[in-house]
Amino acid sequence: MDTLSTVGQRIPKLDAPSKVTGNALYIQDLKIPGMLYGKILYSRYPHAKILKIDTSRAEKLAGVKAVLTGSDIPVFKFGVMKDNPPLKTGKVCSVRDELAAVAASAPEIAEEALTLIDVEYEEIPGIFDPIEAMKEGAPLIHEEMKSNVLKLPWKLVCGDVEAAKTESAYIVEDTFSTQWVTHCCLGTSGCIASFDTNNNLTMYSNTQIPSLAQKDYIEALASFGLKNKRVRIIQCTIGGGFGSKLDTYAYEYLAILLAMKAHKPVKIVFSREEEFFATSPRQCTVTRISQGCDKEGRLTFREMDMILDNGAYTSWGATTPSVMMMPISSLYKVPNIKFTAKCVYTNNTYSQAMRGYGNPQATFAIESSIDQLALTAGIDPSDFRLKNANEPGEITPQRFKITSCGMKECIDAVVKKLDWQSKQGKHDGRGVGMASLIHVGGGARVYKSDGCGTTIKIDDYGKIDVFTGATDIGQGSETVIAQIVAEVLGVTVDDVHVTNNDTDACPWDVGAHASRTTFVAGNSALGAAKKIKAQILEIAAKNLGADPATLDIKKGIIFSTIDNEKNTALGKVLRNAHYVSNGQMLMAEYFYDPANENFDREFKGNLSVSYAYGAHGVEVEVDKQTGQVKILKYIAAHDVGKAINPMLLEGQIYGGGLMGIGYAMGEKMIFDKGVLKNGSFLDYKMPTAKDVPPVEAVIIETDDKDGPFGAKGIGEPGLVPTAPAIANAIYDAVGIRIKDLPITPEKVLKALKEKEKSLL
Amino acid sequence: MKREIIFTLNGEEAVYEVRPEWTLLYFLREVCGLTGTKEGCGYGECGACTVIVDGQAVNSCLYPILEVEGKKVTTIEGLLSADGELHPLQKTFIEEGAVQCGFCTPGMIMSAKALLDEKDKPTEKDIKEAIEGNLCRCTGYVKIIDAITSITGRR
Amino acid sequence: MKAYEYYKPQTIQEAIYLMERLEDARFIAGGTDVLVLFRQKKIAPKNLISLRNIKDLIGIEERDGLWIGCGATHSDIMKNVFIGQHYSALYDAVSNLGSCQIRNVATIGGNICNAAPSADTACPLLVLDARVVIVGPTNKQNPPVPSSEKAGLPAPPFFEGGQERFFIEHQVDIDAFFLGPNKTVLETGELVKGFRIPSLGDNTGSAYIKHTRRQAMDLPILGVAARVTIEKDGENLLCNDVRIAMGVVAPRPIRARGAEAFLKGKTASDLVLQEAGEIAASEASPRDSFRGEAWYRKEMVKVLTRRAIMKAIERAVQPQEVK
Repeated sequence: MDTLSTVGQRIPKLDAPSKVTGNALYIQDLKIPGMLYGKILYSRYPHAKILKIDTSRAEKLAGVKAVLTGSDIPVFKFGVMKDNPPLKTGKVCSVRDELAAVAASAPEIAEEALTLIDVEYEEIPGIFDPIEAMKEGAPLIHEEMKSNVLKLPWKLVCGDVEAAKTESAYIVEDTFSTQWVTHCCLGTSGCIASFDTNNNLTMYSNTQIPSLAQKDYIEALASFGLKNKRVRIIQCTIGGGFGSKLDTYAYEYLAILLAMKAHKPVKIVFSREEEFFATSPRQCTVTRISQGCDKEGRLTFREMDMILDNGAYTSWGATTPSVMMMPISSLYKVPNIKFTAKCVYTNNTYSQAMRGYGNPQATFAIESSIDQLALTAGIDPSDFRLKNANEPGEITPQRFKITSCGMKECIDAVVKKLDWQSKQGKHDGRGVGMASLIHVGGGARVYKSDGCGTTIKIDDYGKIDVFTGATDIGQGSETVIAQIVAEVLGVTVDDVHVTNNDTDACPWDVGAHASRTTFVAGNSALGAAKKIKAQILEIAAKNLGADPATLDIKKGIIFSTIDNEKNTALGKVLRNAHYVSNGQMLMAEYFYDPANENFDREFKGNLSVSYAYGAHGVEVEVDKQTGQVKILKYIAAHDVGKAINPMLLEGQIYGGGLMGIGYAMGEKMIFDKGVLKNGSFLDYKMPTAKDVPPVEAVIIETDDKDGPFGAKGIGEPGLVPTAPAIANAIYDAVGIRIKDLPITPEKVLKALKEKEKSLL
Repeated sequence: MKREIIFTLNGEEAVYEVRPEWTLLYFLREVCGLTGTKEGCGYGECGACTVIVDGQAVNSCLYPILEVEGKKVTTIEGLLSADGELHPLQKTFIEEGAVQCGFCTPGMIMSAKALLDEKDKPTEKDIKEAIEGNLCRCTGYVKIIDAITSITGRR
Repeated sequence: MKAYEYYKPQTIQEAIYLMERLEDARFIAGGTDVLVLFRQKKIAPKNLISLRNIKDLIGIEERDGLWIGCGATHSDIMKNVFIGQHYSALYDAVSNLGSCQIRNVATIGGNICNAAPSADTACPLLVLDARVVIVGPTNKQNPPVPSSEKAGLPAPPFFEGGQERFFIEHQVDIDAFFLGPNKTVLETGELVKGFRIPSLGDNTGSAYIKHTRRQAMDLPILGVAARVTIEKDGENLLCNDVRIAMGVVAPRPIRARGAEAFLKGKTASDLVLQEAGEIAASEASPRDSFRGEAWYRKEMVKVLTRRAIMKAIERAVQPQEVK
């Protein structure tokens, strides 16, 4: 294998210079001539009839150019169940409900206009608990749906769980719950909708799904009476994604509608308060789980049943069970699986995608329960995991084909670095715990296409332009793609420029989700680069009188691998090819759609081309007087296939890890009858720099045969096993198990006191 | 009613007419066009708006514009040298992988600069204290702390 | 942001004068409370009178104990070595407050006058026997109105060089200063000039422990300050002169006088400290709020009282070891 010159190097992010100088333009910074500012009026009540909306006073305010309510706009609903109109009519179902939108010449005027809109409500009793919502006779959130339980098919059955129960030597059963947490992107949501004179739309956006959003907007425009229009999405620098920008939101449609009415571009940018209460958080869950094993500790079955609070409308949260099935069926070798999930309408907020997309929630239950099972069987939890670890070549009950798999190496790394053998089982206030993870690492066929396109062109001097459909949300996909292309074409990343933010120029991509960008966009770029390399070598071969198969390019020189005398500069070859009659300029394209499968009707199929594995281990110290838990050491071991850029990869591990620690220990959106009480950075306890524990990232390279240069995904795995690892460590330290996140000092202290009482 | 203020902005004399209710953040972004300083929350809770006034890091979203009179204000745009060279902090943030989405970066760098202007060999504790008011969701802070540490020669 | 006029008086007289003359006016110091209230639309005064530029308000002086002007920022206090060594509880409070950016502009006066039950500097000042020096308008004299005001221009500095003081000054104990959540004894037109803290004498140490959910940028779930003077009685250390104050466990920061009385004259053994904690907890009446549950706060009073007293004793015995 050749030594690599750019792949595997710690190359700084290509966009870092523009960011450290303040030159990068985020949606907050962008202004279009003639632009108006849009603001949204939200509901006062979580559940109420809308009797009347009077906008006459708002319309009269100087500077107001457009006011819209639900009755002013065509009937249109978005969202995965198409149950969400951008402006509500008839009734409101949550305090997030949008009632009116205003566009004005200044943001302060738009805000004042909102105060001049008079709404008359008739309050209806609200339902804030899915259990209540499922009861006979409970008021319906959406009358036309006939039931508060969504018609979703979430059920996975593999083998025979009931039979397996009878064959199990040990069985554990328990209930775990997880909370709503939110992305806390430092850059809030926003967009600018701008029409040209032919009513074609340009959206300046920070979406993670430019191609899908483009489709959504085209369909929306058709509903709004503008059929067959072009939509162009220009992505600004994105101030954080983490899944928050994986769906289209009401505010985007409202910007479009306001722009249509006012005949001027309209910008809507969320305040921090709106970012907290009006964006969609991580799906909360209540899970009953039962697992069993034989005498030797081999898993026999896993049965899980979940209730998901769907909130008032439906976004991606309702589809998280489809991803939860992945750890449920395939984390460790478990032959018999049964999983069902119910999504229930309530008057609460509604969830969408957030880093991990259901995996952290399911893994919290599974990995906590695994520890319970291991200890019941009298087996060390790390040994138990190794005994049941996934292996390369395995086909799991959900028909995932495991190719590269570094699970055992990750568990071994954690055991070693935590000094597990000497620290585990002391129960003296200090303890160690671990948890593993599986996640998709080679794309995920959740839509009909999992593809990404790349086009490459090269100029007369060997400078390369790459156009990729992949979105960079800060994780560095632009840099990784440049490294891959530079490696293939024998140039440095300085010679490669990546354009990734304009649907007019960039090919289709399904989106920055499922940790797929390095794998899918990387393979796409790799394919295009190889194609253009072949074109270059063919031309060079003619110039040099050589067989193209014997040529290669390094450091901008095309050379023969068998004859030292034969070499020429890349630029020279390109110019010679261009500046002749019948000249040519080189371009190549490659659309890579991985050979993974959509699920069949039973939710089985090879979702991804390869799977990422990892294990996290943590040592904690519990203050038994206050219930506070201090993390003394945190080990995050990840099987990444190949680290194309170890520095960026570490960044994902540290960032994901701390987000996971926040999820495990402090973050919670606190609602009181549907109203968010802690919608600020003061009261929503996102970790600060002082909350970072001593953390070590361990990178395990298993060299995946399908990944670009062997690489797999890493964007999400970083926070999948953190919560159970910490919960398991606390159990090891003081013998109490917290089963509902976040693990707060109150819960720990309460459990310690109850344990004390029970021992008396 | 507008009032005139005279102060130093990024090393140059600045004379502006301002409205009393403007915050320094609003003024920098909307009047001066210096959009490097970001609004992350508007409540002094995230640090994305951090600038340096008379050597101290402050949240510009809570800084009344009239208090800037006669003072020296430095924003992220003021860190480049006269020849357009990046400040060592900017270089280290790039080289050490301390930048992901970048929204927190200008504020983070200004907090670090205020620290380094005061202490040229800060400990890790000093660094964490200096940036405790700068929230970052992407990096987990590790590489940010490493970047600041590396130019103190302490690593 | 709603529009307002912003005044920058250079002297206390001017500040008081402006407050008397302007309609719908409010004092502002660092702005980290006032501007937040503005943004939350909880207040919208037409005039803000800044106290930031008044020299008499920003000093920290070691005389007759300690004088801290209301305009001293938390940063100023944190950097002051004298305070760190001799009034450590106050150092503990300001060093854990907000963030660097907040500490650089937020003032102790603002923190106390805002009078949140969670005000971090309140409990330390309570245990340090601080006296609050208040200045306010005289009610007898009516200063002549300068012609510049008639012209509608901002009030210029006046009484320059002259010794005339058109304000009165009085003091109250810090304990009498707080009336309830965000309520103090300050009357309209009055402002706090500063805090006078007596010298503590030898063998005295103080500490403030703030119980938070995360390590920075946090309000306390509760806070306990303690101050203890130690007397050596053979092998034992007796606690004389004890002060204990608790925050966020009542509508205002309070002293735990029962616990103080109990501890006085006793050796700080584990059992004694435990009992002191229990007594302090019985004097606390915390509420349930989304920021913390009442039962937990009460439990933490017990723990933090013990720990604060122990830390105060440590510092009394080893005064150099402070930070």
